[in-house]
Amino acid sequence: MFNKKTAINAFRLLVLVACAGPALWLGWAWTQAELGANPAEAVVHFTGRFGLGLLLATIALGPAFRLTGWVGFMAARRQMGLWAFVWLCGHALAWMGLDQYWDWPWIWQDLWGLEYVRYGVAGLLLLVPLVLTSFRAAQQAMGKVAWQWLHRLVYISATLGVVHFWILTRADYRDVTLFAIVLAALVAFRLGCVVVDRRW
Amino acid sequence: MARYRYPKIPESEVTPEPLYRARRKFLRQSAGLAVAAAAPGLLIKPAAAWQGGLDAVPESDLSTDESLTSLDDITSYNNFYELGTRKRDPSDWAHQLQTDPWTLSIEGEVNKPGKLDLDDVIRPDELEERIYRLRCVEAWSMVIPWVGFELRKLLERHEPTSRAKYVVFESIYDPDNLRGQRRDIIDWPYREGLRMDEAMHPLTLLAVGLYGKPMPNQNGAPIRLVVPWKYGFKSIKSIVRIRLQEEQPMSAWEEKSPEEYGFYANVNPHVDHPRWSQARERRIGESGRRETLMFNGYEDEVAHLYEGMDLEKYF
Repeated sequence: MFNKKTAINAFRLLVLVACAGPALWLGWAWTQAELGANPAEAVVHFTGRFGLGLLLATIALGPAFRLTGWVGFMAARRQMGLWAFVWLCGHALAWMGLDQYWDWPWIWQDLWGLEYVRYGVAGLLLLVPLVLTSFRAAQQAMGKVAWQWLHRLVYISATLGVVHFWILTRADYRDVTLFAIVLAALVAFRLGCVVVDRRW
Repeated sequence: MARYRYPKIPESEVTPEPLYRARRKFLRQSAGLAVAAAAPGLLIKPAAAWQGGLDAVPESDLSTDESLTSLDDITSYNNFYELGTRKRDPSDWAHQLQTDPWTLSIEGEVNKPGKLDLDDVIRPDELEERIYRLRCVEAWSMVIPWVGFELRKLLERHEPTSRAKYVVFESIYDPDNLRGQRRDIIDWPYREGLRMDEAMHPLTLLAVGLYGKPMPNQNGAPIRLVVPWKYGFKSIKSIVRIRLQEEQPMSAWEEKSPEEYGFYANVNPHVDHPRWSQARERRIGESGRRETLMFNGYEDEVAHLYEGMDLEKYF
């Protein structure tokens, strides 16, 4: 029957399917012309929302573990975080390739000309050191405390992502408000833990 | 001030005479057919007469010869927040817009104000096909074959007074039916405005159809404005009220974010929006981007309206 290890592996598999599956759907929808009159825009929006959603979900795995004590949440955290990075890189590549057609002078101009692009790029770049130190050897070499401090950058990255989304929203703030509320709840939980544990 | 001139038509665009004659004949015949087809309907509902003939109206000299955006794209990728904020919402919820009966009020600084039935507004002999570029502030564009008539023809019928400096338009307000209006996305009803000379310009159209058919609901049925040298949001949909006045009005978007959406909203590749660089645009249905033209390519026709104005300030 299900022992603890099976449950953890099943959860990791579920995370894999949930993170990779939408890529297959997106590819299928593209070939079937299901993405509407402006498929490039649809891909840029979908990858951005899904990537940012995964980043928040990754942060939420910590509180989920703390509240339930189930180690499966922690076992899937690295995988989910890396998937979030992959999706957000896909978002940036879709913007550069499908939206800007690899037109570097224009990409450069938008990067400096449009505020929300700067926030988005900064949020993505902040994730790079986390990805580079995501494997076990790096964690051991750094020491646990330093590694934890470095990885708290994820809160800043997610905040930049939500600000990026907020600025580019034209009028209907429902979706971005949901992202902001989730982010605020995660930050509040983290700060609450500091108070309860009496340590950072 | 430079005098307005109709754009010069290149030799390549002039229809050869035999084709021209054949087209005239075809139009006469189809017009006859349209009247014949509408005749039985006349007894019950004279309203539909103009709707039947929309595919036989003459094409305007002011049309562009650029390739048309597909009907499917024009009718499935819309900003019409009364029906929802996603691009597909307007076509998904188009049935919620009730367009019959429809009255249009013309009021304010006119000698002949009135509340008109749509059929009294639309005169079949004034209708033309106008193929215009449409440029959205979101940096996408389309080429759309509208059917409509010049706004100035309607305004002249109602005799604007000398105090008429601006024209204000108002869209339908019907939150019971229109799901988008149940939320405060913008301050309903949607309002837009033009300066009098912009409103009287020959390019400024009241459109009642596209692709030779009555206007689809998601595109602003039954009657909408089309101002091709301005960003799409100026071209207000589903108009119920036209008011002439002395003071410059505030448009719905301008009221929401004055720093983003100016009163003029002229297409201008040199003035960026905080969210979208306006230098280039994506033509829907095309890959790649094309450079945005000043006044959306209608510079020869409209630039004189803004002579001496700082277009960075009056954006």
